[in-house]
Amino acid sequence: MPIDSFSQFKEHSVAEFFKKNKQMLGFSGKVRSLTTIVHEFTSNSLDAGEEVGILPEIFIQLEEEGDDKYKIAVQDNCGGIPEKYLGKALGQLLAGTKFHRYVQQRGQQGIGASGCIMYSQITTGKPAWVRSGYKNVIIECNIGINVSKNTPVITNLTKTMGEFSGLRIEAHLGDVRYENSGYGVYEYLKQTVLANPHAQIEFIAPDAQRYMFPRAVDVVPKPPIETKPHILGITANDLVEFSRRIKESRISAFLAEEFSRVSSNKVKELQELLPDIDFSQPPTSLNWDTAEKLIKAVHTLKWIAPATDILRPIGKENVARALQNILNPQFIAQSDRSPQIFHGGIPYQVEVAIAYGFTNGAHNRIMRFANRVPLLFDAGACGLTEAVKTIEWKRYRIDDFENMPIAVFVNFVSVHVPYTSAGKQAIALEEEIIAEVRNAIMEAARPVKGYLNGIVHLQERSSRRKVFLRYVAQLAGDMSELADMPKKKEAIKKGLVDLVEHRVGLIEEAEDAEAETAKEANAANGAVANGQENGNGKKDFEEKGE
Amino acid sequence: MGNQALKKLDDLGGKLIGEIEKQTSPSFETVVRSKGNIIFDQGVGYLRLGNKKEVRTFLNIAQARKFMQTIAIANKCRKFLVEGAHTSIRGLYYQLRFTLGEDIEEDLFDEQTESNPLIEDLEVALSVKREDLNLNTDRKGVAAGQFKLRDKFGGEDTLIDGTKQGRSGWSIPSDVDNGLDFEEVKAKYVLVVEKDAMWQRLNEDRYWQKENCVLVTPKGQSSRGCRRFIRKLMDKGLPCYVFTDCDAWGWYIYWTLKTGSMNLAYLSKELSLPETKFVGVTMSDIKDYDFLSKLTIRAKEIDVKRAEEMINYPWISKHKDWVAELKLVLKDKKKLEQDALQGPRLSFVSDYLKQKINEKRFLS
Repeated sequence: MPIDSFSQFKEHSVAEFFKKNKQMLGFSGKVRSLTTIVHEFTSNSLDAGEEVGILPEIFIQLEEEGDDKYKIAVQDNCGGIPEKYLGKALGQLLAGTKFHRYVQQRGQQGIGASGCIMYSQITTGKPAWVRSGYKNVIIECNIGINVSKNTPVITNLTKTMGEFSGLRIEAHLGDVRYENSGYGVYEYLKQTVLANPHAQIEFIAPDAQRYMFPRAVDVVPKPPIETKPHILGITANDLVEFSRRIKESRISAFLAEEFSRVSSNKVKELQELLPDIDFSQPPTSLNWDTAEKLIKAVHTLKWIAPATDILRPIGKENVARALQNILNPQFIAQSDRSPQIFHGGIPYQVEVAIAYGFTNGAHNRIMRFANRVPLLFDAGACGLTEAVKTIEWKRYRIDDFENMPIAVFVNFVSVHVPYTSAGKQAIALEEEIIAEVRNAIMEAARPVKGYLNGIVHLQERSSRRKVFLRYVAQLAGDMSELADMPKKKEAIKKGLVDLVEHRVGLIEEAEDAEAETAKEANAANGAVANGQENGNGKKDFEEKGE
Repeated sequence: MGNQALKKLDDLGGKLIGEIEKQTSPSFETVVRSKGNIIFDQGVGYLRLGNKKEVRTFLNIAQARKFMQTIAIANKCRKFLVEGAHTSIRGLYYQLRFTLGEDIEEDLFDEQTESNPLIEDLEVALSVKREDLNLNTDRKGVAAGQFKLRDKFGGEDTLIDGTKQGRSGWSIPSDVDNGLDFEEVKAKYVLVVEKDAMWQRLNEDRYWQKENCVLVTPKGQSSRGCRRFIRKLMDKGLPCYVFTDCDAWGWYIYWTLKTGSMNLAYLSKELSLPETKFVGVTMSDIKDYDFLSKLTIRAKEIDVKRAEEMINYPWISKHKDWVAELKLVLKDKKKLEQDALQGPRLSFVSDYLKQKINEKRFLS
């Protein structure tokens, strides 16, 4: 078969595009590539579940097939994909339904599952195998991508009737590696369930170890509402791009229809400020210069803040249940923040939970999420990490943040997450965002302090009793033998236990009385205590000044 | 003594059980052994513990573990006494190195450094020596001379004749109190010689026979057993003379023998030898034996420093002869080894000792 030089060129360009942008799209490094692939498939399943209102049950299996080669199988129960869309959804790049939408969303921009199938194909040369059960029709086929045309290649398709409702994808992957670390698949899935407590995930690791992350909440979150962007959150560039994609025939209509909080009165005000621009011209006439002028003018006017009810936080109670379910900590404290606006026009909300005292520890003490998606990479460059790091933990009785059993959960919810890069693993270090996240963390940390104070007290008590009681058996044995009365051992033991209980009881009574007095004294001297704190602060300052 | 120690242990057990029955915290009293409670008693002439007492009690967070451990030691020692078996303090530690129970993640003892001070607690609290509790200490020291002992040990009853110990001498055991009794002591005094080599020299000369004495070497710093052995001989009316190098180490050996040590201040009554005298070598010997002037060694910094310190010790400064001797050392900054007395001929040492002892030329 003769090789068409043109198609070869095109093939090259699509493959080249992917390869060149691979890093940006999360395919940098073997471990990260595998996590990205798992992320793409799981996000698809979770989104599908939300859309059709099904509680997701996701199954993921990884099998080693050689050096840096794995087979992945992902299966969900989220309604499947009809035959008609199967190719488009899985065998065509940038064909997802999420691209160019102004909505709170999980996934990467459209690179999604087809990007993973592409990755599979270019690293192993093998197509993926798919089984989709949609409305009692089960389709099984191989899916590859014709890279020259960027079209799906579907082969060996069979169609049967059956009960299965969902999607199963099996793909071979090269140049990836499984690692049980803070960057690995296990941690990713664990955190995914933390942020999506309505989902159940079963994971079989390459060493055949089976992990079950059970569901904690039985309510499917409402699908996110698509919204118009607020005019204050728009840049000149956004404006030019938007203007090429819309149906309106005049600039005035374009502004009023495509952006929220832009009334016809506001359009008039803008027109008055910008007599040089003809608002009756088609939006395509907007060039960079005019767009820039328009945005400048926008910022001189007052606008009603954007609606914040479109945000879909996980919810305080759901986060608590999820943490309880997965980490099983002794104590959970949470923030309760209302939505905020950044850049004047983009609504967002921060959800913070602090879990204290767990044995099945997390790899990461700071668990970052953007719209329920775990952010495992680029922690150092992330505004959420920065906010956690600047907290004075000692104030909250957390004397050793690095070593105490504590985890901080931060979910950043927004229709537009200000990522630092296309890799989407770090949130920009923007001052107003960091300040809000800090406030949320401090709000959650306050009850932790109270709890730890209480624990220390209880620990002292229980260990005091324990210290005595653990020696009672040995002591009773030795004493009875020492006095040559071995038969008295049990009586001595009982006597010692009574003695300990009685004595410890007396000590505790005394302590309680003391604490009660101290409490009353504190209540009476509340103002004095604050005054002392200030006094100390001043002293520190003076010392530094010297 | 063995039976006495056993009775004391039984009494302690009975007392503790009585306290539990009365629902008070079981406790026993011991004497503080820290430096602050060690005094030099002018009256008796040795270091001893003062009157500061401490109560060891179970119902105290800081003491619970130690209390339990001490009673475990007491019970273990009681078993040794009943069985008539001896061991070392390390052997005792291993006997008690077990877990406190399946559900308790804690061992009775983690290290021997935990059990050693508790043994001392028990010795002080019960006024017994560890040897009385069948705990052996390291054996060091050799004796020969005009004494006979009956040694009841391991089911055997052996007569030990101090005159028939050949070239090696009788090795002084750890415990000279239990199952060991003097049958006969013909000797007129005890001579303690710092170095083993010097002892061998004098033994070869049969010094103990010619001088009718007991010849002892502690081989350096004296062990408990060795000090106790000398103490028992002195209790039979024998005077004791000590022969060491004229240097910091030699003086230290002498003064430990005489007045006891800080570490064992609680046992001074049984171990110290306040009536003992120092026979040599002294700096002032040089004026009587002029060959010694050529055999001196330059004193080391430690010797000088030690001499300066010693002059100020209250138990030394009251002895004018010692002050004069130490001043001589500080002036000349020289020291002398006892071996130097072999300079003229090997048996000169014997002559030197005979002469000094007969003429009673001692330092106190």
